[in-house]
Amino acid sequence: MRFALGAYLLIFFAYLLGPLLIMSISALNSKSFPSASPWECLTFEWFAVLAQDERILNGIKNSFIIGIGTVILSVSMGMAGSLVLTQVWPRLRSTYYTIIIAPILVPGVVLGISTLVFWDRVNRFFGLGNDSVFSDGLFLTIMGQSTFIASYCMLVFVARLQRFDPGLTEAALDLGASHVQAFRKIMLPFLRPAIASAAVLAFLASFENYNTTTFTFGQYPTLTIELAQKVRYGINPSISALAFLIVALTIFAALVNEAFRRRREIRSDKDLTAAAQKPSLLPGFLRGNIPAIVLVLFSFGVITVFYTAQTYSPEICKAEVKAEKKIETDRKIKEIQEKLKAQQKSKKQEQENIKASKKKSGGAFGSVFAPSNLEETTGTTSEPETKAPAKKKNNAFGNVFAPTNLEETTGTTE
Amino acid sequence: MKKPALFSEFYKRNGTVLGTSLLLLVGFWVVVLIILPQLSMLDFSFRPNLPPPEMGGPKDVYTLANYKHLIFGAQGAEGTYNVVDLSVFVRTIIAAILVTILDLILCYPLAYYLGQSKGGGKLRILIVLLIIPYWINEILRAFAFRIIFGESGLINEMMLLVGLIDNPFDFIRQDIALFAGLGYAYILLMIFPMYNVIESLDRNQIEAARDMGASWVRIHRRIVIPHAKPGIASGCTMVFMLSAGALAAPQILGGPSSLWFTQIIYQWFNEGGNWPQGSAYAIVLLLTCIIIVLAIMRLFKVNMGDIGK
Repeated sequence: MRFALGAYLLIFFAYLLGPLLIMSISALNSKSFPSASPWECLTFEWFAVLAQDERILNGIKNSFIIGIGTVILSVSMGMAGSLVLTQVWPRLRSTYYTIIIAPILVPGVVLGISTLVFWDRVNRFFGLGNDSVFSDGLFLTIMGQSTFIASYCMLVFVARLQRFDPGLTEAALDLGASHVQAFRKIMLPFLRPAIASAAVLAFLASFENYNTTTFTFGQYPTLTIELAQKVRYGINPSISALAFLIVALTIFAALVNEAFRRRREIRSDKDLTAAAQKPSLLPGFLRGNIPAIVLVLFSFGVITVFYTAQTYSPEICKAEVKAEKKIETDRKIKEIQEKLKAQQKSKKQEQENIKASKKKSGGAFGSVFAPSNLEETTGTTSEPETKAPAKKKNNAFGNVFAPTNLEETTGTTE
Repeated sequence: MKKPALFSEFYKRNGTVLGTSLLLLVGFWVVVLIILPQLSMLDFSFRPNLPPPEMGGPKDVYTLANYKHLIFGAQGAEGTYNVVDLSVFVRTIIAAILVTILDLILCYPLAYYLGQSKGGGKLRILIVLLIIPYWINEILRAFAFRIIFGESGLINEMMLLVGLIDNPFDFIRQDIALFAGLGYAYILLMIFPMYNVIESLDRNQIEAARDMGASWVRIHRRIVIPHAKPGIASGCTMVFMLSAGALAAPQILGGPSSLWFTQIIYQWFNEGGNWPQGSAYAIVLLLTCIIIVLAIMRLFKVNMGDIGK
């Protein structure tokens, strides 16, 4: 039973984390098509390619603008929605809740389409052209994304509001505070953690949204849209490099978050004194804080990788791989040549047997013909920009090539 | 006159400034962002595809042509059904149900394990590990699966190396990559609702059942699953809706011959330029999803209020 559980957990997390790991590895492989195997050379060139990609950089900029707009709009709408939910007429309550929770369940594609269609109609209603605010990609995307992201925010606020004591606001009002004052001094401070987590959630959701954005982005493609287009039409590992960065950032953020959590826990722990009495080589903030230790190690690792990237050059290794490939192709060419010769010989013999009266000059012609053709194949295969499965394809290609060659030569001899 | 009374009480509780801003924000969200766009999409789906100058003109009348197109195909071919679109539609729904079942089977044991473990550092680590993949872009997740399942991807390379197969196996054409990618994309949405309800299950109940000799299967069937039903329904609903409405994963991982229904909608909008047609298809997708979800809820006897907990 224990063993089965262990195996299950292992498989589950391999499924969950394996793809990310493999993608990260492929960012460091020098092959021009993203793959983790066969491994060629450790390289950091894809990061350089990524840094020079105008479209990706522009996409990141647009994503940030849209993200900030969405955060502001959806956090405030979500907060208002949750506050109204606490005091809405009971009989209306479930209908209201259904309406504001529905955008989470509605397919993102449908949200994108309805946003597009609706604002297009508003635009026409006011008789505005295609360059008005209502047909602007940024505006449409913020509207479309906020529709459902506000629901996420609302859920975060509802969870927090369940622990709110309405007596506090009433007390403030009794003591003569205005409603706005009571809201600012009591409700907002109480909701602050929820606002923070809703904002982070909203930003992440906005940043990675594809389904809705793909209908509304107009002239302002976000990072996700650019990535999708790159993935669909022509890939190189600079996407893996971006994924690598995002994975590293995510792990970093998660570790920082955990380290702070643990620290707060330790602080509130009464056993702190007991732990402190143990002699330890670690500085204070790391004591008993495993996430913090991992965080320091992780940062150290990242810095090391960064310095290696500054000094390391994959050229030697690349040259070696190229040479290896050349040897491989040369070997295969030789094989093919030998095969060809053997076949030619046997063919010649046959021909001599059958058509003894014919002259042998055709055979010589054929053998001249063959090498030049072969050189062409070597020319294509030994190019540095060989595609991923070059090694295998080359073999098949060469084999295919050879018989036709032969046929041609035999054709001339006849 | 109940409504004015309702509003005046609302204003009394919140004050004029605050009350008005709350109402404005909620009103904007509910009316302008949720209800009106859906209605205008519904309206749009009943109209013919006209160039902008002719909109609102005499030709702009309500028609069922867009829905007929889904069922019967183009107008020239009366009588025969639109086999291509309909089969894509059915396949999408079935595939989404399969993905949901796959995720349910995959996630239930883990949700149970997490919910029943006593907390502490190990649980935190597992939860962080669960969440990390979801901070990474949807497109990149699909892309990762392409690296793994591609023709010269990791699995093919490995199998060729070991000698298991002679030629690369086309995972993408067989839709294996698509199922793996879709299942992967929504694991978290399945686990967390289930984990939340199982966590609230009193462990004594399970122990009592075990003491009285209930088998492992029976404990789950009679105690854990009935208790976890809202979580299961909530998780299934979300996974089903999201995978039926997925666009990125089918675009990246789908084979050339297997379209997803959302891709057809996308084509009507971005390549076909026929918005009313696309709207009609979107409405069909939305309604079908809603009907299936309501059926699931009725089947499990779960309320809408349980969703999203």
